[in-house]
Amino acid sequence: MTQTTVLSEDQRDCLQEISNVAMGQAGDHLARLLNSFVVLSIPHVAILTPADIAMAVQAIDEDSVSGICQGFIGGGIAGEAMLLFNDTSFVDLAKLMKFEEELNTLTERELLIDSTNILVGAMLRGIAEQLDIEFSFGPPAIMGQHQQLDKLLVSKNVRWDHTLVVEVNYKIEGYNVQCDLLIVITQSSLPRLFGKLAYLLD
Amino acid sequence: MTGLSNNNDMLNDFRWIMDIVQNVDVGLVLLDKNYDIQLWNNFMQNHSSLYAEEVIGKNLFETFPEINEKWFHRKVESIYLLKNSAFTTWEQRPYLFRFNNYRPITGRAEFMYQNSTFIPIQDLTGEISSICLIVYDVTEQAINNLELEAANDKLETISQTDGLTGLLNRKAWEDLLNKEFDRLQRYKEQCSLIIFDIDHFKKVNDSYGHPAGDEVIRRVANITQECVRKTDFSGRYGGEEYVVLLPHTPVSSAKILAERIRKQIEAETISHEGISIKITVSFGLSEYNSSLKSATAWIDSADRALYESKENGRNRVSIFSHPATETTDKKD
Repeated sequence: MTQTTVLSEDQRDCLQEISNVAMGQAGDHLARLLNSFVVLSIPHVAILTPADIAMAVQAIDEDSVSGICQGFIGGGIAGEAMLLFNDTSFVDLAKLMKFEEELNTLTERELLIDSTNILVGAMLRGIAEQLDIEFSFGPPAIMGQHQQLDKLLVSKNVRWDHTLVVEVNYKIEGYNVQCDLLIVITQSSLPRLFGKLAYLLD
Repeated sequence: MTGLSNNNDMLNDFRWIMDIVQNVDVGLVLLDKNYDIQLWNNFMQNHSSLYAEEVIGKNLFETFPEINEKWFHRKVESIYLLKNSAFTTWEQRPYLFRFNNYRPITGRAEFMYQNSTFIPIQDLTGEISSICLIVYDVTEQAINNLELEAANDKLETISQTDGLTGLLNRKAWEDLLNKEFDRLQRYKEQCSLIIFDIDHFKKVNDSYGHPAGDEVIRRVANITQECVRKTDFSGRYGGEEYVVLLPHTPVSSAKILAERIRKQIEAETISHEGISIKITVSFGLSEYNSSLKSATAWIDSADRALYESKENGRNRVSIFSHPATETTDKKD
């Protein structure tokens, strides 16, 4: 258990590299799909606790931030991608996504879900390819719609203490659209992931 | 010989795969690049009352005009480019295909709620040649969720309401006051607070009994509710004590409202089981002022004005005057 809570230098470098490559591919795909230049930050790889994630989620209670989660699983590796839209204009997001319906609470939710599916899918597909696995995805779910956020990451509900998180920041040029993607890997998939990394490092 | 048995094996494999595809309890639809239907499994046949022969080769949008073509194109575009799946859930769109409810006894919805997944299908060259739609019947889950939400809304209303009067209860009203107080720290706006209580209420209870007292409390609440505006928040603060929060309102306007309530109550004869009861109420008013340190201090200031009304003979409205500050609020 102990070795899953600490990343070795090599493991971190390897994950960083995988994320960089995936991000490059994602940026390229998204640019073609959205006809806009997508600025992605350098991915940040870290071991985090539920409390760390709870901090990130806290901001969702404010009106200006929306959070959407999408589960993925495949090749013994599972997790959830969480996309946080900060200060994003729905009008701009709709324009970007060529979303033509009139915006109301319902269509805004659909817009969030569609955008998440695309942004998350683009990034995770690149990661899966390099690890030589394939992920299946569940439908994205808007946080706070059915579960109360403050109750989600309370210790008694969470069955893990540390896990691996890859964080990427997206910005779309010319649009007021900005979001953070957190890819949270389940603790139980870490041995399998590190096994894959060891294979790549050899 | 071996070639033949291999062929038989393949045919067998194909048969059981097709059997599963046909009989699995989700809808499966295969669409080519022109959105012409290539596969229509039993689930789809049964719920649409359209046989595979009737729809295969036909265009999806011509056959099912309920599907928004533009919306569908946009959904599918990313699948071809990113080779990923796309989703639609009942919360965003109740259904993709409109299938009527088919259970006369236990079916509680008018139509089938659906979640759908769109998955890319590659041809032998690895190119995406078609899209498969997977349609899940989530009616049960959707109805349960919707009912739960409705029940929660109702519970929330009940938990915020005072049972006797239908006004906000003390806790709910104080939550609102605290929120408004925090907001006023940020945006300098006018906002007023009214606190009032029934004069000599103990006498009503002692002379006519508690049921009569309850009737008086209810009647005062009704009159208050008739007088306040939609944007005001009135609550029952204690036994015979009421509060009204008036956002965007200077104390001069609050005074007009308070006087209206006071006069109506004074003119009212409350009858309870043949007894006629006359009562009066006393008011304390306080406008928000930046010198107030907390919401509690704000209530205290209105309470002090109420005390003044009591001291000066009851059945009247008094306004708390804040110590002079830099604000330009006018007091009358």
